[in-house]
Amino acid sequence: MTLSTITVGPARRTVHYYRRGNGQPLLYLHHMLGMVGFEPALARLAESFDVIAPYAPGWGPAKDQLEDIDPGPLDLTLHNVDLMNALNIKSAHVVGISIGAWMASELAAIVPQRVMSLVLVNPLGLWLDDVGGADPFAQHPGMPSEVLFSESGMRKQFLFEGRDKMDAHVEELLNLRASAKFLWPIPDTGVIRRLPRIEVPTLIATSEHDTVVPAAYGPAWRDAIAGSRLTTIPNAGHLAELEQPEAFAALVRDFIRAHAMPAVA
Amino acid sequence: MKFHWFNLMPWPYLPDDFTEKHRSVWVDVDSRLFDARKANRIYNDYLDLLELAEDVGYDGLGINEHHQNAYGLMPSPQLMAATLARRTHRAAILLLGQSLALYDPPTRVAEEMAMIDCISGGRLISGFPVGSSMDDNYACGVNPATLREQYHEAHDLIMRAWKDPDVFAWNGKHYKLRYVNLWPRPVQNPPPIWIPGGGSLETWDFCAQHKYNYSYLSFSGYIRGAQLMEGFWQRMETLGSDFNPYQAAFAQQICVAETDAEAQRLYEKHARYFFSRCLHVYPGFADAPGYRTEPTIRAGLVSQMAGQSSALNQAAALSWREMIDKGYIVAGSPDSVAEQIEKVVDSLKIGHLVCLLHFGDMPNDLCRYSTEMFATKVIPQMRSKWKGYEDHWSPKPMALQDRAEPRTVTPFPTHSNEPARQPVAEVK
Repeated sequence: MTLSTITVGPARRTVHYYRRGNGQPLLYLHHMLGMVGFEPALARLAESFDVIAPYAPGWGPAKDQLEDIDPGPLDLTLHNVDLMNALNIKSAHVVGISIGAWMASELAAIVPQRVMSLVLVNPLGLWLDDVGGADPFAQHPGMPSEVLFSESGMRKQFLFEGRDKMDAHVEELLNLRASAKFLWPIPDTGVIRRLPRIEVPTLIATSEHDTVVPAAYGPAWRDAIAGSRLTTIPNAGHLAELEQPEAFAALVRDFIRAHAMPAVA
Repeated sequence: MKFHWFNLMPWPYLPDDFTEKHRSVWVDVDSRLFDARKANRIYNDYLDLLELAEDVGYDGLGINEHHQNAYGLMPSPQLMAATLARRTHRAAILLLGQSLALYDPPTRVAEEMAMIDCISGGRLISGFPVGSSMDDNYACGVNPATLREQYHEAHDLIMRAWKDPDVFAWNGKHYKLRYVNLWPRPVQNPPPIWIPGGGSLETWDFCAQHKYNYSYLSFSGYIRGAQLMEGFWQRMETLGSDFNPYQAAFAQQICVAETDAEAQRLYEKHARYFFSRCLHVYPGFADAPGYRTEPTIRAGLVSQMAGQSSALNQAAALSWREMIDKGYIVAGSPDSVAEQIEKVVDSLKIGHLVCLLHFGDMPNDLCRYSTEMFATKVIPQMRSKWKGYEDHWSPKPMALQDRAEPRTVTPFPTHSNEPARQPVAEVK
C-alpha cells in the first residue's frame, strides 16, 4: 500500500499517511520508530474501521519538518487537528502507541470534541522516579533501537528485511532523533496535568516485556484518567503492534466495540 | 610550525580492574573512585606542567571541557585559563572548548573569554566545539535534536556580542535577550577561533565559511587521522578556500626518551592506562540520536567514541611496536620522534600540532622529562616547517611593554596601636 499526501493547516505542511478500510474513522499515531509500511496490525484494523495512519512531523518522509515543530504539546496537537480538518473528519477513535500515545492523550485532553475514544499502548510522557525505565536513547549507535524489541533479531527482521541497509539505519536514527526532540532527556512531557481533562472512553495497555515503559506506568495513567481501563499485552516489547499485530488489533477493536460504539438498533 | 602543550587532565587512580568492573569512564563513571584530597595535588601538578610548557618554549597551552569524565578533570576550562592568564606571560592560551550549547545565555562564553583575553593581554585562542555527545547530551542534558541549532545560534550571538558596540536585542529561536551589551570585551576582537571536532561534514563547511581553524582532536593517531584530514583539505579546496596549513591542528600522543628502548620502558604502561582505562566509554553514550546529521551518517563518519570503541580497544591490545607503527603514539629517541613527527605534519598538512605529552597515569616528573626532551631536541628540528605561510590562527597579543604583569603587593605596615593607613591616597 502506498502513502498518500495531503497539505494541512496554515503552514501548508505536507502529511504523508496511509488510509484504508470502512467504518468509523480511526486515527493511528505511531511509535518512536514511525511505521514499517501499512503494518499488519493496521491492515487488520482496516477490516473494521476507516484507518488513517499519518507520519508525525519529523518522522519518516516528514523528517525535514522537525525543526518547525515546538517540543511541547501544542504544535503537535494543532497539527493533528489540521489533518483531521483537511480530511474532513469531525471526530475519530484515536489509537496511539509509545510517543504516539502521548500525542493521542494530548489531542483528547486539548480538543475533546474531536475524539470518540482513546487507546494508549505503552504510553510515554510520564516519569515516575521509583519506576524509571530503560533509556531509549542511550543505546549502542550500531543498533540503537534494539532496546525497543523484546527479542534480539526482531530489530533486523522488522526494520531491515528487504531494505537498503543504510537507508533503514538512517531512518531508524532520524526517527529516534524526532522522538528525542519531545522526550529528551527524561520522557516527562507534563501531560500528567492535562490527563484529568480526558472524558472519552479510554483504554491503557502495557506490554509484558516493555523495558522502556515498564508495566508499572499503567496504573499511573489509569489513575490520572477517570473511568479508564487497564490491560496487558502478553509476549510483546515496546513496539507491541509489530510484535503482536493480532492481539494489538483485537484489543483495539474489542474495546471500541464494547465501550465506544452506539449499540446497533 | 607551532607546537602546543595539551593535557586532558586524567584521573590517574583508576583501578587495575576498572574496565571489568565499570561500564564507562564517562557520564556514569563511579564517583567513589574520586578522591578530592588527591585531586588537590593532581590539579596543581597538572597546572605546574602547563606553566612549565611555556617556560620550555611551547607556543600554546591547551585545555578543554569534559563533564562527568575520569579522563578529563576540566568541566570548566575557563577556570584553568584564568589561572594560566595570571601565571604565564608569553604562550597562547589554547582554550579548546567551551561547548557553546552548554551555556545559557551563551553571552556567558563571550564574557568569560573576554575576561581571559583582557587578563592575559590578548593571548587567547577561543575554541568553539559542538562538544561530545557524552558531555552535551548525556551529562548536561542538551537535546540532541536541537544541539546543532543551539550551537550555531550561540556562535552567531557570541560573535555579534563581541563585535557590535551597541546594545542590541537578540530574538533567537533558542535564546532571547532583550539587552545584549558585552562588558568587558576582548583585547583581540575577535580572538582567533578554532573549531575542535571529530569528523563532521558540517564542521568542515563551517570552518571554510568563516575561515576558522579546524582542530581534529583524535586519540587514534595520525595514520587514521590522515584519511579524515584528507577529506577536510579536499572539502576546503572544493569550497574555494586557499590552502594554509595553519588552518588545521591535530592532537597526537607523544613521548620522548634517550633511546627507543628507554621510551618503551618509561611510557608503555601509561599509554596502556590511557587506551584501556581512559577510553573505556559505554557505546550507548557515544552518539545520541540526532547528534550526527544525516550527511555525516551517510558519509560513514562515526563520532569519536563510537568509532574508537572498536579502534581503541584494538589499540589497547597492540604491542608497543604496533602502537607506534599504527600511529596511535609517537614515541622513541629524539631523532626517531622527529622522524615520526615529520610524517605526522606532512601527511596531515597541519601547521599546529597539539602535543599530548601527558597521557594516562604518567607521573609529573616523567612528563616533565618528556616535555623538555621534545621541546629541546625535537621542536627545533621542525620549527621552519611551513615557512612562507602566514599563521592567522595564533593570538595577536598586546606588545610586551604595554602588557600588565602580576605584581607583588606588599601590605602596608600596621601597628596595633595605630589606625590602619588609608592606601587610596598613597597610590597616587
